[in-house]
Amino acid sequence: MQYEWNFSVVWDYRAVLLAGLLHTVVLAIITIIASMILGLILALVRNSKIPFVYPTISTFISLTRAVPVLVLLVWMYYCLPIITGLKLDGYTTVIIALSIYSSAFFAEIFRGGIQSIDRGHIEAAHSVGMTRRQTFQRIVAPLAFQRIFPPLVNQCILVLKNTTLAGYVAVPELLYLGQQVSIRTFRPLELLTAVAILFVVTIVPLTLAAEYFEKKFHEKYFR
Amino acid sequence: MSLLTIRNLHKTYGSLEVLKGINLTVEAGEILGFIGASGSGKSTLLRCINHMEVPTQGEVELEGETVGVKRVGDRLVARSSAELSLQRRKMAMVFQHFNLWPHKTALENVMEGPVVVQKIDPQTARTKAMAALKRVGLAEKADAYPSRLSGGQQQRVGIARALALEPRIILFDEPTSALDPELVNEVLAVIQGLANDGMTLIIVTHEMRFARTVCDRVVFLEHGEIADAGPPSHIFGPEANPRTREFVGNYHG
Repeated sequence: MQYEWNFSVVWDYRAVLLAGLLHTVVLAIITIIASMILGLILALVRNSKIPFVYPTISTFISLTRAVPVLVLLVWMYYCLPIITGLKLDGYTTVIIALSIYSSAFFAEIFRGGIQSIDRGHIEAAHSVGMTRRQTFQRIVAPLAFQRIFPPLVNQCILVLKNTTLAGYVAVPELLYLGQQVSIRTFRPLELLTAVAILFVVTIVPLTLAAEYFEKKFHEKYFR
Repeated sequence: MSLLTIRNLHKTYGSLEVLKGINLTVEAGEILGFIGASGSGKSTLLRCINHMEVPTQGEVELEGETVGVKRVGDRLVARSSAELSLQRRKMAMVFQHFNLWPHKTALENVMEGPVVVQKIDPQTARTKAMAALKRVGLAEKADAYPSRLSGGQQQRVGIARALALEPRIILFDEPTSALDPELVNEVLAVIQGLANDGMTLIIVTHEMRFARTVCDRVVFLEHGEIADAGPPSHIFGPEANPRTREFVGNYHG
């Protein structure tokens, strides 16, 4: 039996799919910004000497990383309102759940980057009289950023792909809309292929750009 | 008043006592050498001077001001990060492994302190930094990143970075130990030049010949204590204590 491909449905529903892609990208951008900020705060505050801060943040990070992101999302959508009485719409829930989840990973990336900086570079900064804050801004942060750039891009790509889970709480992202269209047209294979291609053409250029910048850094500073 | 006074300085790591009560004064314009075996505490002593290591007990005084701590009533309390940084730039440091910042050019490495810490306007700082680079003979490498410089050149940039702060003292932590033998002399020549210009220098070194010819006074440390001190003619002469003679002898032999 031969399957007859018919990609004309994809073209017919192009506006729906592109709207889905736009939702996906917007969700991803908001989540990436929120989780990077949260992750950076977690990484910076974690080592403070204030009592209970370190164990609290460490526990938060390990718990968050241990829960599958879909479980976290669905739990926040259905269970949280029962427990707290607070009912958030799907869009907000997705952003909060994905941001919390990703922040744990960003925090670990930032921590690794900060810890990887040669103690000597920090001492040199102190020796010319830089305060701790100046040392972080002028020396540690730029050096760490170059080092964590590849895993950072990686994590951003994971966030982008994790947005496909938003469909579970009926947020109309790309995969969700693709499935809606396929139910209507009975063409799931064509629509899944189209969804896959749209993800690839969004993500691959990002990867290439990241590789380009990484190479630039390296040529400039480390030959 | 001496430029620098070290009083009853102790440093312990856990149960390991690295410094056991050091007393020492340094006069302006003096070139002081610290020698001693690995683990004798000479680098720790140097690093306690600018509070890179926090002394367990005792104090360091620069121009009458206690470094890193201050007296409040009859207690010693830690100075703020800003106060300490103000003191540290009076005691510039040159490191064994250079520690140039890899994301900044030679010139930017030298300018960083004056611009960020002393808030000197970048144009003036650039002129001063170029002068410092010229002094170490590296004006033509101003725009090179550290990765493109040899070890000797990197260390000379490290010295220029220290000079640009216009410090009272420069602390050298084994400045030639990480260098290939053929690069040692270019760095020693620069240090010799600073000594001739009347700067105050404290140098932790394994270069006995250098300590002998450049230093006004050499301190021999053993097991965290000053075992012997005096002008090179004493330390490297027949009058030195037997342990000093043995230590110095191993280098000649």
